[in-house]
Amino acid sequence: MGISVLLEPIILAEIMLQGLVRGSMYALMACGLSLIFGLMGVKNFSHGEFFMLGAYVMFFVAVFMDAPFILGIGAAAAVLFVFGVLVERTLIANLRRRAGRDWLLDAFVLTIGLMIVLQNLALLTFGSTRRGVPQLVSGMTEIGPIFVTNERLMILGASALIVTMLGLFIRYTRMGKAIRATGQDPEAAQTLGIDVNRVYTYTFGLGAALAGIAGALLIGIFPAYPTVGFHPVIKSIAAVILGGLGNVPGAIAAGLLLGVIEAYTTFFLASGWQHVITAGLIVLVLIFRPYGLFSSAKGDRP
Amino acid sequence: MALEIQGVTAGYTKEVPILQGIDLTASDGLVTVIIGPNGAGKSTLLKVIYGYLRASEGEIRHDGVSLRDQQPKDMLRHGIAYLIQGHSVFPKMSVEENLELGAWILRNDRKAVASAFEEVYERYPRLKEKRRMLAGVLSGGEQRMLEIARLTMTGPKTLLLDEPSVGLMPKLVDTVYQEIARLKEQRYTILIVDQNVRKAMQIADYIYVLKLGRNSHEGPREDIQPRIEAIIREWI
Amino acid sequence: MTAETERRSKSTARPRFLSELTPWRTVKIAIVLGLLVFVPYFSDSAFITTVFISAVMFGLFAAIYDLMIGYAGLINFGYAGFIAAGAYTSALAWLHFGVSPWLGLLLAGFVCALLGFLTGLVSLRLRGLYLALMTFFIGEAIRFTISNTPDVTRGMLGLSVAPFPDIFGIDFSRGNHLNYYYLLLVIGAAIMTFMTVLVRSKYGLAFKALREDQLATESLGISTTRYKLINFTLASFLTGIVAGFYAHYLGILSPTPQEFGVPRTVEILTITYVGGRGTLWGSLFSGFLLIGFQEYFRALGAWRLVMFGALLIFVMLYARRGLAGLKKYVW
Repeated sequence: MGISVLLEPIILAEIMLQGLVRGSMYALMACGLSLIFGLMGVKNFSHGEFFMLGAYVMFFVAVFMDAPFILGIGAAAAVLFVFGVLVERTLIANLRRRAGRDWLLDAFVLTIGLMIVLQNLALLTFGSTRRGVPQLVSGMTEIGPIFVTNERLMILGASALIVTMLGLFIRYTRMGKAIRATGQDPEAAQTLGIDVNRVYTYTFGLGAALAGIAGALLIGIFPAYPTVGFHPVIKSIAAVILGGLGNVPGAIAAGLLLGVIEAYTTFFLASGWQHVITAGLIVLVLIFRPYGLFSSAKGDRP
Repeated sequence: MALEIQGVTAGYTKEVPILQGIDLTASDGLVTVIIGPNGAGKSTLLKVIYGYLRASEGEIRHDGVSLRDQQPKDMLRHGIAYLIQGHSVFPKMSVEENLELGAWILRNDRKAVASAFEEVYERYPRLKEKRRMLAGVLSGGEQRMLEIARLTMTGPKTLLLDEPSVGLMPKLVDTVYQEIARLKEQRYTILIVDQNVRKAMQIADYIYVLKLGRNSHEGPREDIQPRIEAIIREWI
Repeated sequence: MTAETERRSKSTARPRFLSELTPWRTVKIAIVLGLLVFVPYFSDSAFITTVFISAVMFGLFAAIYDLMIGYAGLINFGYAGFIAAGAYTSALAWLHFGVSPWLGLLLAGFVCALLGFLTGLVSLRLRGLYLALMTFFIGEAIRFTISNTPDVTRGMLGLSVAPFPDIFGIDFSRGNHLNYYYLLLVIGAAIMTFMTVLVRSKYGLAFKALREDQLATESLGISTTRYKLINFTLASFLTGIVAGFYAHYLGILSPTPQEFGVPRTVEILTITYVGGRGTLWGSLFSGFLLIGFQEYFRALGAWRLVMFGALLIFVMLYARRGLAGLKKYVW
């Protein structure tokens, strides 16, 4: 296969699509991470395990119990929301109440511990077998010169829908406004009667639910197994940084971009190169646009 | 008797209490001003009243209800609003959203929220004009107006103001004090902590002077004003 | 250190080292040193000796990790990759260029120092999440390079490494665990002494300032970049030396995640935190505790990592000072 064949527009478009599908996963994950980070400054390393748990929930609901996959996504969102709330209440909140500025590093290390615990508990409970489905949705659709599986279209469509819903939620609902207010000035929010502790807990749950949805949605591509979340969390953290910390739309755009870059590098080079390229990209962005690719204003820096 | 404080002792650590047995009363419908040198514990006192910091001893009552074990988020429900020091608008939210958050505790009582908006927009037509703008792009004076307007959204009884004129241009300082005078006419009970002794004196009904966490002088304005130069000289 | 000795050490001109050496403390130090030196010797058990070697080795890695995270607040999430770089440097230098493993230790130190310096350069003003992510990528890139150049490193097949050649008539053939153990103690003593002196110097002060408040530190005219570079470079150098020992002692290296990836980094991080960050010596004690425990319960499998993670969470929540928090009761 010569290089000229590789550069066929159809193939390039095909890879692009593949990258966008992966990118939508990173974007969903990065949304949750960025939301949590923007609000409370916590860098949640166990976010990938929320993704993993979402995939398992999907597997048990949609494959094991043979329920429609929409139910699986709903169940993943609900289970992970509750799980996220519990994690925040029992673990993070304890650190948050601690005075002093280094609780954030402590929280980061704590989530690393949580990552290891969840990964290995999953291994002990479910084994290392990959549990997935060949596809959630069958069939193909012809778009111009290329054929696209309906599954991919579903993933792209569902991701777009969820991100839009999240945007509307943050913009217009009471809780959404409380989240934004608390993110901008927690002390002032408190004087207005907003229970900021509840806002933090709720947001953490919301972020976890987004990761769970991503895990459920992509089970056709990433079957559930204990360490499935690690790669996505690394990429979505990179997306959060590239997008500008706490900038949710920026994180979404960067997530898509990273997915596309990953698809092209894996196709043309060995897969390990994506780490090198992503790292290089971050270095360049940090030198030339220190507040993120998509942030113009001065954002927060750790 | 609106807000009564008796023998309040509090601090960030047990060993070093910043407030050591403060007594203070902010009477209904009057402007009470707390002045004192740096480190007197003026702002700390407001934080204790509002529940950010717990008093290790003493009692705080608002209309006879004890506030000692209340959290900041519950204070508006008790009818106390608090203007924290420095900027406190949500800069990336619109003026309207800021005011809406001021009415947070009204929950989904649309009628009450609508009438609060009507009232505030009537009093502050400037804010109505700019209601769709982001609060962060308003001028410093307008932001302060927004903060004060936001305080009154739920019709509280008592206002705690921490350094309301700090960081503003001299011209704007006057506007802020005119505004506070206007609030007084509306029969709010007002407790102000201020560095700007002269300005605060003009609107005060009753004055407390704190020094190193203790009551040092107090009295109605007529008593304190003639002695103020001497009192300030003591600080140095 | 009690408040009293602290005051005393400040009031007298004697070095703090000496003023801390009360008679009782000298006895305790002697007991610990004695146990360290003689237990493997008298136990006459290869098992005990290998456990001691693992404990000291990982205790040292954790202490060096502490120099970065506990003193300067720098989180290196690709640390295991740095260990890989050091281990492979010494092993490959011998394999391809016939460099003596003794020189290889130093070479590994210098290669790691260079890597640490470069990492410091690219992550110049970063900390927290940025630094964790950058170092992760660098660590993974090292591991990826090793597994993707099988012609040089034998990749995933695993690389067998020569033992140390005899020196001064001491036999270092494989299986002579006791001599390896004493070699490690010598290396460890040098490293711990160096680090202890370092953190008590003005460098240590600058590191701590860096950890507490980057902006405030800069406003005092202390170059955060400079001290971050110094910290990272020195820590990497020391890592390289221990990693070189690791390679020649173990005799086989393979770039798996368990050995040189994130799980390994988390293990070391846990040892550091359990020992008590910002204490250096705590890491050595927790190395014995955790590695000993782990060797004893080999059958634990995945539970072992669950335990490590849970322990890390526990320490963050309830025992921020780790084992060092117990010091006042026993020391």
